[in-house]
Order: sequence, then C-alpha cells, then structure tokens
Amino acid sequence: MLQNPAKIGHSSRVVTLDVRPQLLDALSALRDRVAAVRYPLPLAGAPRARANRDELLAQLDDYLVPRLREPEAPLLAVVGGSTGAGKSTLVNSLVGRRVSEAGVLRPTTRTPVLVCHPGDHHWFSGMRVLPHLTRAWVPRRERCDEQYPLGGDGRRVLRIETAESLPQGLALLDAPDVDSLFADNRVLAAELISAADIWVMVTTAARYADAVPWHLLRTAKQHRVTLITVLDRVPHQVASEVSRQYGALLAKAGLGEVPRFTVPELPESAWGGGLLPATAVAPLRTWLAHQVTDPGARHRAMARTAHGVLDSLRARMPELAGAAAAQYAAALRLTTAVDTAYDREHARVKRRLQNGAVLAGDALKRWRSYPLDCTAAELLDALVESLSALLLCAAIAADQSAAEAWRREPAADAPELTRRDPVLESAEHRIGMAVRRWRRVLEEYAEEEVRDLDGGAAPDPEVLAALVATALLGGRRVRSAGERLAGLIGAHGALRLRDRAGRLLTEYVGRVLRAERERRLAPLDALDVTPEPQAELIAALSVLLKER
Amino acid sequence: MTAVTAVTDRTDHDGGEEDAHARVQHDDHDTRDGRTERAREETGAETGAGRGEETGKGKAEETKQEGSHDWDDGLIARRAADDQAAGAEIGPMGARTTTSLAHDGPLRSRLDALRELVGVSRARLDNRTLAEAGRVLEEAAARRRLSGQHTVVALAGATGSGKSTLFNALTGAALSDTGVRRPTTAAPIVCSWSDGAAPLIDRLGVPGRLRRRPVEGVDGDSPLRGLVLVDLPDHDSAAVQHREQVDRILALVDAVIWVVDPEKYADAVLHERYLRPLAGHAEVMFVVLNQVDRLPGEAAHQVLDDLRRLLDEDGVALGEYGEPGAAVHAVSALTGDGVGELREALGRFVAERGAPARRLSADLEAAARRLRPAYAAGGPAGLGEEARDDFTARLADAVGATAAGEAAERAWLRHAGRACGTPWLRLWRWLQDRRDPPTGRLPVPAPEDEEATARQRVEQAVRVLSERAATGLPEPWAVAVREAALRGSQGLPEALDELAARAGRPQARPPRPGWWPLAVLVQAAMTVLQVLGGIWLVGQIVGVLPPNLGVPALLMATGIVGGPVVEWGSRLAARGPARRYGLEAERRLREAAAGCGRTRVLEPVTAELLRYQEVREQYGRVVGAPTVVR
Repeated sequence: MLQNPAKIGHSSRVVTLDVRPQLLDALSALRDRVAAVRYPLPLAGAPRARANRDELLAQLDDYLVPRLREPEAPLLAVVGGSTGAGKSTLVNSLVGRRVSEAGVLRPTTRTPVLVCHPGDHHWFSGMRVLPHLTRAWVPRRERCDEQYPLGGDGRRVLRIETAESLPQGLALLDAPDVDSLFADNRVLAAELISAADIWVMVTTAARYADAVPWHLLRTAKQHRVTLITVLDRVPHQVASEVSRQYGALLAKAGLGEVPRFTVPELPESAWGGGLLPATAVAPLRTWLAHQVTDPGARHRAMARTAHGVLDSLRARMPELAGAAAAQYAAALRLTTAVDTAYDREHARVKRRLQNGAVLAGDALKRWRSYPLDCTAAELLDALVESLSALLLCAAIAADQSAAEAWRREPAADAPELTRRDPVLESAEHRIGMAVRRWRRVLEEYAEEEVRDLDGGAAPDPEVLAALVATALLGGRRVRSAGERLAGLIGAHGALRLRDRAGRLLTEYVGRVLRAERERRLAPLDALDVTPEPQAELIAALSVLLKER
Repeated sequence: MTAVTAVTDRTDHDGGEEDAHARVQHDDHDTRDGRTERAREETGAETGAGRGEETGKGKAEETKQEGSHDWDDGLIARRAADDQAAGAEIGPMGARTTTSLAHDGPLRSRLDALRELVGVSRARLDNRTLAEAGRVLEEAAARRRLSGQHTVVALAGATGSGKSTLFNALTGAALSDTGVRRPTTAAPIVCSWSDGAAPLIDRLGVPGRLRRRPVEGVDGDSPLRGLVLVDLPDHDSAAVQHREQVDRILALVDAVIWVVDPEKYADAVLHERYLRPLAGHAEVMFVVLNQVDRLPGEAAHQVLDDLRRLLDEDGVALGEYGEPGAAVHAVSALTGDGVGELREALGRFVAERGAPARRLSADLEAAARRLRPAYAAGGPAGLGEEARDDFTARLADAVGATAAGEAAERAWLRHAGRACGTPWLRLWRWLQDRRDPPTGRLPVPAPEDEEATARQRVEQAVRVLSERAATGLPEPWAVAVREAALRGSQGLPEALDELAARAGRPQARPPRPGWWPLAVLVQAAMTVLQVLGGIWLVGQIVGVLPPNLGVPALLMATGIVGGPVVEWGSRLAARGPARRYGLEAERRLREAAAGCGRTRVLEPVTAELLRYQEVREQYGRVVGAPTVVR
C-alpha cells in the first residue's frame, strides 16, 4: 500500500467543524427517517419526491455524515458539467497524467474516477463515502488505453487512482456528464456532485448558455456550497469577450462572487490525446491547493458546504414531508371513494330490502302460488337466490363506482392497485355462501320456535322459515305472510322470530358488503400509506435544528 | 440537491410541445387571414413540389379543405378559373400554373380518411385526443394551399453549434449574425432562393425585416432554386423563448437540418426532446456534424460513426445506401469543408419537391400512431351469441319465467284434478273453503304498481352484457357501449313489469284437451251409478223394489271404485298437457322479456359496436395506406 502514515500530518492542523455527538445522532435519526419514507402512489409530485429523497439520502450518506464524523478527511472536489465540456481532460491536466479516459466520443466518462494523493488513499478505499459504488483500484496504471468496464453486473464502479502530484488532503473526482443521454450517468453524476466539498462546474465557450448546467449552478447557489466554475475550451481570440459575458451571466444569476477560471481551447483539449500545458490550469491548481494547504481556507471551504447542506435541510425536509402528506391525502381520497361507493350501495340495499325488492321475479311468482302450487322449500330457495342477486348487484355496482372514482385519481394508477382479481365470479361465490349461511341460521331459528311450541300441531319449521323470510324480504307487500306466521305460532312467537331474523339479515348484509369493501381496499392497505412519515420527518428536522 | 436531478427531468418535458401547439394555432389564424393575397401571389408556377415540415408536433389547421380539393381533381373548368386568377398576377418567372404538392394523391386520400375518422369520432373521443389529428389536418391543408414548388428547410441545433455560420455558408453571405456570445441568434431568419415563397414565410411568422436573399440572386438556375432556408435560434439555451420559437417553427417547415457539433452531439436534450419524437420524420431530416475542423483526422470519422449509432438508437432511419432516411453529413462551416456536398444534397432534395408531402405524411403517421390506443385495442370486439343468450336468460330470470311456468303447470294440473275429481271431494273442499279464511289459498289480486320484476337482476344483466360488449374495445368506445346499455336499461324494469303482467296473466280459460269432457262425463256416470245403486238398494230395503242385492251393489261398487280411478287416470293423462301448458306460459314470458331486452338494450349496444367497427376500418384506411412517397 502506498499510504504513508507519517505523511498524514496535515490533519493535525485542520480546523475541525464544531460537531457535537448529539448533532450526529440527530442527523443519523433524520437519515433513517428519510430512508424509511416511501412514495408508492404515482402522484404528480411523486417521482420528484422520490428523486429528492434519493438525493438527500445520497448526500447524507456520501457527504454530510462522513464529513461531520471525520472533518479531517481530505477535501473532495467533484468536477461536473455537460458532456464534452472537457472534464476528464481538465482532471488529467490538473493531475499531470492521464488518469481518466478523455476522448471525442460522447459521453466519454462512464466510470467515475477519483484521484487522490497516495497518502490519502485509505480515506477513499473504504466505504466511508460513496458506499454504493464498488471500488476498483489500480496502484499504478502502466497502459493508458486500458478499458475499465462499467460494473458488468449492473454494479456501479468507482475507480480510484493515486497521484503524487496532487497535494495531500485533496481528492479530485471526475464525474460523468450531468446532461448525458444515458439516464444512469445523469443520476450518478448528481449523486457524485452531492458528495463534494467543492463543486467544480465545467462549461465551455459553446455551452455557457445551456439551460441544463445553469440548473446545477442555481442548485449550488441554493445550497450555498463551495462552488467554482471553469470556462473551458475557450478559443484564444474570443477569450476575453466570452469570459466577460459568462461573468455577466453569473453576476445576473447572483453568482458573481464565485471564483471563475478560464481554460483556453488548445488542440489538446479537443480530442483528449494529451494534457493541457500546466500553465493553462495553473490558476485552478493553485486555488485548489490553497484550499487544502491553508487551514483557514480549508475550513471555510468545508464548513461552507457542510453548513450549506445542513441549512438546505430546512427547505428539503418540509418538501419531503409535504410529498408524504400528499401521498397520505391521496390514499385517504382513494379510501374515501371506496367507502362512499360501498356506503351508498349499502343504503340502497337497505332501502330495497324495505321495499321488498327481493320478493320479485321468481320469488314473487313462487309466493303467489304458495302454498297451493309451490312448496315452502321452493319459496325459500327463490328468496335466497333473489337476495344473493341483490347483494351481488350491490357489491358489483359499488366496485364499479369505486373504480370510476379511482379513474379520476392519478394515485390509483399504481401497479399494485390496478392489478385486480376477477371480481365477479369470486364475489358471486362469496355472497352465495354468506346468503346460504343466513338461510341455515334462519331455519335453525324456526326449529327453535317449533321446539318451544311442542304441541301436537307443531308446524313444519321449513314453512315457518319460508314465511318469516317472505315477511322480512317482501316488505310491506306481504302482510299476509306475517298474518299466517302469527296464525301458526302465535303473535308473540311470530314477532320474536321476525325480530331475530331481521337482526340476522341486517347483520349478514352488513357483513357481506363490509367484506367486499375490505377486499377492494386490501391492495391500498398493503401499500401502507400512513400519516406518520410526515410528522416524523418534521420532528427529525426540528430535533436536528435544535442540536445545531 | 433537489435540482440536480430535476434538471435532467426537464429535458423531456411535454409542456413545451403543447405551448407550441397553441401557438401554432394562433399563427394559423394569421395565415388564413392572409390567404387570399397569398393565393394570388402564389398562383405562379409551382408544379409539383413543396416543402415538408419537420417536427412531429404542432400541425396547423385544415381550413377549407374543399378548396384544396378543387385543385387536385383534374377538372379543367376549375383549372381555368384558377388560371384566370393567376393571370392577374404573373410572377417574375413568367407564366406558371398553380399546383399542389408533389405525390399528393395518396396523401390526400389518407388525409381525407383521417378527416372522416375525426368527423365520425367527435362524439366519442374527447377533444384533446382528436386535437392532434385536427392539427395535422389543418396544417396539411394550410401547407397544401401554398406553393408546392418551394421547400422550407430549417437549420436547427444547439447553441454554439454553428447554425448561423452554416446558414451564411449556404447562402454565400453573412446574412445571419454569428458570434461567440451565447445564444447568438434570437429570432429566425429566412432566406429564399426563388420568388413566390412569401406566403410560406408569412406562415412561419417571420417579419419582413428578417427575410434575406442569397448573394447569387434569385433568378439564375441556382441548384438550390425553390429552397427557403430558415436559421433558427437554439433549442437548449437558458433563454426559454428561443426554445418556444424553435418548437413553433419546426412544426411548420418541410424539412430540418439538425446541426450538431463534436461537443454537443450527444446532448440529452437534442436526442430525447427532438430526435426521438421525430424519428418518423427521418426522410425529411438532415443531420450535419459541424465544426469538423476542430477534430483531428481520424476522430471525425469516429464521431460520425458514434453520431450514426446514436441516431440509430433514437430510431431515426439513416438514409444511406440509397435507402430513405436522414442523411448524415460532416461539414465545417468555418473552413467550407463539406459545404459543397451539403449544397448538392440539398439541391437534389429541393429539386425532388417531395419534402412537403413526405413531411405531411410523416405527421399523419405520427398522429395516427398516437390515435392508435383510441381506435385499436386488444382482442376481438363484438357480442357473441352466447352473450346475447345469457342476457335474455337473465332477463327471463328477472321476470321469473321459470317459476311462472311451473306455477301455471301446477295450477292447470290442479284444475284438471278438480274438474275430473269425484263430486264428493269437490263438495268437501268447498265446505272447507267456506270454513277457512281464504288467505293464501286464492291468488291475491296483484296491485298494478307492484314491482314484479327483480330490479337487481335486470341491473346485473345489463351490467354483465355491457362489460362483455366493452371488452376488447378502446376506452372511449367501451364507455360509449356502457352508456348505450345504461340508457337502454332505463325504464326496462318497468317495461318488463307491464309485459309480465300482460303476458304472464293466464288466459281466461286454459285450453282443455279433447278427452276432458269425456272424463267429466265418465266421472258423472260413475256418480250416477253410485246414486242409482244407492237408490236401488234403498228401494229394496224399503221394499218398493224387488230384492236383488247383486246388481245394485255391483253398480254402487263400480261407481265408488270407478270415480277415483277416473280421477287418477285423468290426472295422469293431464300431466302431459299441463306440462305443455306450463312450458307455453314460460316461453311466452321468456320471449316477451327477451324481445323487450333486445329492442331496448341489445340493439343500441350492437349499433354502437358496429359504429366502432366502422371507425376502426376507417382508421385502418388512415394507417394502412401505402407510404405516400418513395
């Protein structure tokens, strides 16, 4: 190993950040909260919130927590920018040798390269920062054209290079392009930039007005990180004019005080075959070296970014919490839609039962011909069938109107919610079971009544069951059923049987519709969208702010 | 970091497109106002070609398609009228004939098909879905009214890629400002190589002060005759209004030259926002790698190959080896390398005059592709015989046909038994009826307003039917089918009630089989025998008659045994007719219910399905027609 413990002397003169263990605890609690929050419903803001969550998590893991734990670790300067801006050439030139592949084909850099002094290697070889990236470390690269594949199995790789020419305490990271055609590159670039103590934004004479890098600059300003910009590939003849205009644009964006370096376009910078002469990058090199050698400057650079990120939590956490609240609100809307639909159908079923809608069709025909041309069992069969048709109709109507309401909700597009079982058959089956069970219990009631009578003229319990079912389900239409029931077992017994059967019916109808509703809501419940994350995020933030 | 990735999200936004559409429409209103003038200017000699436009977005209106038909149908009378109009203003190039775009025939029939399609689906699809197609039609009509001899080509690209420099190189003079300041060009500049293009330029909304002429002049036989070149602002700078202008004009031009440079050729915004959505427009697309002078020898080829690879990944067909598609050129506008070849290629392209029609047909295809989910979806649509039978069976259930039939059968049987039964039994029953209250025994007269039909079953039947009919249909049509079924089902239960009351009511006297009177007669005879035997016996006992025990006892016994035997026999014999009677009652009710359901629900649903079928065929005509231009 190349590291030389004797050389790590600089850490002693590092001015450490004022970090108390409580702050670290609060921060890791906050990190866990952020990691736990989920945005499963596809709301308009959800992809954004997910990206924000991932970024914040990456920044906490890759930058803030390690930085506050170990303030003496080397400063990491991440070189970011558009594709073709010459980031790799710049890094190579700063290091003085080809550490990162440069070339004319875009995007060139797909595997990020971290360059540090051999003495700092131990800081980066472990998983202290950027724990998501697999390390690939080659002590000394003999051949420059060697290809390092992107993690073949989808793992992302960070290549670590060492160079004596870099001052100790400084590490350079050559990030992929921020506006790459490869979405993976973009995400990786954002993640890497999040890990930086010093953001080095590279743009070019042809690009300085591009929209995409400006978003990055604005973000940097928002987070008040330590930022420098490099205007690369500037043709000599227009250098002063372009530089002036770029400066004006920066000033207009409120970034006037940001250190600005201009690197001229030389044949070398066009195809990356070689390195830029040391003079071209000397000012930038000096500035970077100054940041690590001068304790005051180092502290300022580090503290500015760390505090900037800490401060940015103030805005970002409420944003995440807001998105979590929106998720909960959407889930609540979905639940309410289902509840409303089922409640409405339940009310309709009750109304229909009262009106005697069950005693229609077959059941009515049976009743009309009872008892001359029809047996009690047939009448009861028809009634049971009619009742289950009514319940099935209600369940399916509720399901449909819930689906209709969900169609208007963007949140209902979640794949977990759209995947549905074939409702019709299974609902028919379940409802049929429930109604048949009701019939059995009703017959038991009738038997009990008959047992109580114990006279010689005890009526057939089936007749009792059929009559009481008719009286219950036929509504006001069939007073005669009640009268006959009273004739058979006496007014008191008839009333009692009827009451019990009525309660039973209400209970079964309620149970059936509740079960259907729960089945409808089960996938949503499985997503487990609760109001807690919002409160927890805000609480974690306020604890953190108190500890600062 | 919120913005770090947010940035990247912004590259593939759609909002911009919509804005562009809106703007296009405005623009077109202007265009229409100036139409008459333009038509006069134009009347000149444009036989055949036109410009195609480039982008897939924003298509203008179709105002007055009739008008455009007029020029294409080959009627001499109309041509003459046109010539007269043209005669008023003969352009600088002498007598011309107004023409439509080249290769217009197949394109026109497809456009007509699309127009018809839009017309028939207006009631079903929402405006947003159809807006795209409407824009294509309008745009096509607007473009086809204008000169077919000119080809409007736009130079588009990122800031700093050298659009203006290339523009100047092609025109041969510094007509457009170039510079290092980014972004340089803020408004589009137009250069026209021949006269008569004014209405086309008006359509782009470029003011007069930004119109230029090439140095070589417009009269000569320049290889670029007919070219109208537009230098666009950038599409990727922080100046948003530039992007808006680009989007607006890209929707109106016939072809586009995408100018990329070695630094920016792989920018996400170019590929994701423009090239991928426009992959279908490859035939009216040039891709020019500018600034090759910045690349050393070998690198230029590498970059070109990489660019081709990226274009291929975008789905842009490359026009190499004589295949139709986008042509890729490497030029250096600064040193002039490759500009000559580009001019030649452009000259050939313009001389073909196929670009406008190609662009329009590419637009048409894109619009048709986008409409696909509204017209074509999974499986086969339509109602099978099984679904219809199931529906009518459910309706029959709802009116209780089975139970009614059974009840009728049993009642008939009961009546038969009673009619052929022994009088004593009838007497006993009559007495019993008098003693007991008649509750439940006699049919209760049904109140008229009674809901005899099971509402829930009707509802369920309609729902199942509409679901079956709607499967395999695209959403808008499925909704239409469901609505048709729902509309039909309103009032259906009431109609069924009425019908059941009518059809279900037993006829005044159930039909009686021929043997019935005989059975009654025999039964009566048996009774008479009993009575006779009885009287005879009584007479003997009293002594009025001579004693003869055998014969009267036999008579009486015959009567007593024969009565029930006849009753039993006739009940057996009645079973068949009773069954027939019951089935008949059931069938009548069933058929009545089915007929009611057919007229009220099945027919509207079938009609809706037929309409969908027609529309689908129409869509097939829009899509399936062979590619317009080869």
